[in-house]
Amino acid sequence: MESSTHQPSESSTLVPGEPEPRSDSSPDSTNSNNGRMSWFQKLTIEQRILAGFSLVFVGILVITAVSYHNTSIVLTNSRLDGRSHDLLQLLSTIDVAMNEAEDAHRRYLVTGEMSYLESYKKVVQQKPTFATYLRELARGSMEQEQRARVLERMMEKQLNAESKAIDQFDEGGFRAVKKMAIEGAGRRELGAIHQLITDMDSDERQAMNRRIADSAEGTKNTIVLLGLGAFLQLVLLAWVYYLIRHDITERRRVAEELQRRGELLEAANKELEAFSYSVSHDLRAPLRHIDGYAALLRKSVEQSLNEKGARYLQTISDAAKQMGQLIDDLLVFSRMGRQEMLHTTVNLEQVINHVLADLRLDLQGREISWTIAPLPEVTGDPAMLRQVFVNLLTNAIKFTGTRPKASIEIGVERPTSAEVVIFVRDNGVGFDMEYASKLFGVFQRLHRADEFEGTGIGLANVRRIVHRHGGRTWAEGAPNIGATFFIALPTRSHEP
Amino acid sequence: MNAAKPIILAEDNPRDAELALAAMEEEHISDKVVLCHDGAEVLDYLYCRGQFKSRLRGNPAVIFLDLKMPKVNGLEVLRTIKADINLRPIPVVMLTSSREERDLAESYALGANAYVVKPVEFHKFLSAVKELGTFWGVINEPPPEGLRSAQPHS
Repeated sequence: MESSTHQPSESSTLVPGEPEPRSDSSPDSTNSNNGRMSWFQKLTIEQRILAGFSLVFVGILVITAVSYHNTSIVLTNSRLDGRSHDLLQLLSTIDVAMNEAEDAHRRYLVTGEMSYLESYKKVVQQKPTFATYLRELARGSMEQEQRARVLERMMEKQLNAESKAIDQFDEGGFRAVKKMAIEGAGRRELGAIHQLITDMDSDERQAMNRRIADSAEGTKNTIVLLGLGAFLQLVLLAWVYYLIRHDITERRRVAEELQRRGELLEAANKELEAFSYSVSHDLRAPLRHIDGYAALLRKSVEQSLNEKGARYLQTISDAAKQMGQLIDDLLVFSRMGRQEMLHTTVNLEQVINHVLADLRLDLQGREISWTIAPLPEVTGDPAMLRQVFVNLLTNAIKFTGTRPKASIEIGVERPTSAEVVIFVRDNGVGFDMEYASKLFGVFQRLHRADEFEGTGIGLANVRRIVHRHGGRTWAEGAPNIGATFFIALPTRSHEP
Repeated sequence: MNAAKPIILAEDNPRDAELALAAMEEEHISDKVVLCHDGAEVLDYLYCRGQFKSRLRGNPAVIFLDLKMPKVNGLEVLRTIKADINLRPIPVVMLTSSREERDLAESYALGANAYVVKPVEFHKFLSAVKELGTFWGVINEPPPEGLRSAQPHS
């Protein structure tokens, strides 16, 4: 039921026909059997790692932003606290000063002592400074600002009343201000001022307390956030680490698996080669006996043998010979797969010339027009590549046998940096493209045995040799028009 | 000439042996052939033991040696012959189905005098055996016997 939630797209990236690594390669993903994880399954490991790192990055950004915000609040609060303290100080100074002013003006009214008047005047002089500071420090809170203005007015009022009383005293002496001297000119205002200052004081203290609580809360939040954030980052990083490690182990495992398979394949190939070789040899002995005893039989009954009997014996011999040829071809084919390969520079032009020289005898009585393009040098095994062209050219000669004027072309196509493509084109009997895939198979023939001789091993050898050079083979053709055989050899040396 | 010296044919397959003998018969040398059915018999012959205890002394003109034989195989027989100072001069011709390079190389390394792959086609096999028998059994002059000092490198 777990596998049913798997996306087929993921499994297709793995080795086909190999179900085991799929299930153990993603043990974490199989646990999630809801559709929500499916999009995540589609991500490649690189994308997942990138996503992990992005999350870590975003997390760091968020934590930094929130911490900055909280810290700046705390900083602002502490600055505000300083101002509040100043305000409290100022308020108490004002309170004291106003009391002093009231006290001093009353004493002056009673005694006429100038030192008291000086004290009073000092307060009057200080008053504008007080007012300025007050306005300054009360700013920020509407309520406090309003109170500050009221306070200023009250101070003004008190000092004015007192000042008026002093003026009356100066004009009319104690008698004129007797009542005021006892009660105090701004007594009423003084009480109100005191009350106001107390209000402001308690308000400011409350604000301070609020801010302290606020700052404490902010600090606590910051600490919690930092702790939580650090934890989350750790989790995320651990996850990313897991992903990377998983990826690395997975890659390593796949590499090991590939190597193991390669070794197995090589061993299996070797075994198969050895097997086919020994089978081929053991098959040769009975064939020799069939042919041999048929010959002995013919010899011993030669006189009494009629035509029919002679033909039968000949057929037995021919069949044995044909099978012998097949086995020999198989042996050559097998040898092509096992033989140690050389990696030298091969001049294809020379190879072709040698092959053509060897084939001269087969060309007697044939009219063939040859077109041979300048051929490049390639890296490979000279003997094997020679075999390739022996087979290709023999085929071209063979399958143009029915043409009164045969033409065979050897050329180079599409020289790229990666490979060089050489083709052999003939105007022979050709083939139907439908059977193109069969051409290079072992003992595959597209013509009847009585049309063209051969066992059908030549192109199989061509393909095997070209494959061992790291190249490709293919063919194009049309019935009764001709065929073109292509071999592509890599320009760089191929070490199997 | 070595007309009197026998030819050893080591061949475990009776049909191959019969075909080879048929070929030799055409050359009238089949009566010189001593047939051994495995490597052990070849060694018995050479060392005059077992069924060959009472044979006439002297080395054969040539030994035709199959590679694949029961008990003691061709390469082992070859190794024994070429390691024995008295037997070393005997010409040994490997007559086998194997065209494998390893077998070829090892045979020559051990000192085989010739290596012939049995052809599948009878008439080729026939001519090969005839030529071999005539050449090694009749034309070729075998080494003289009892001349150890004739081997300079021994």
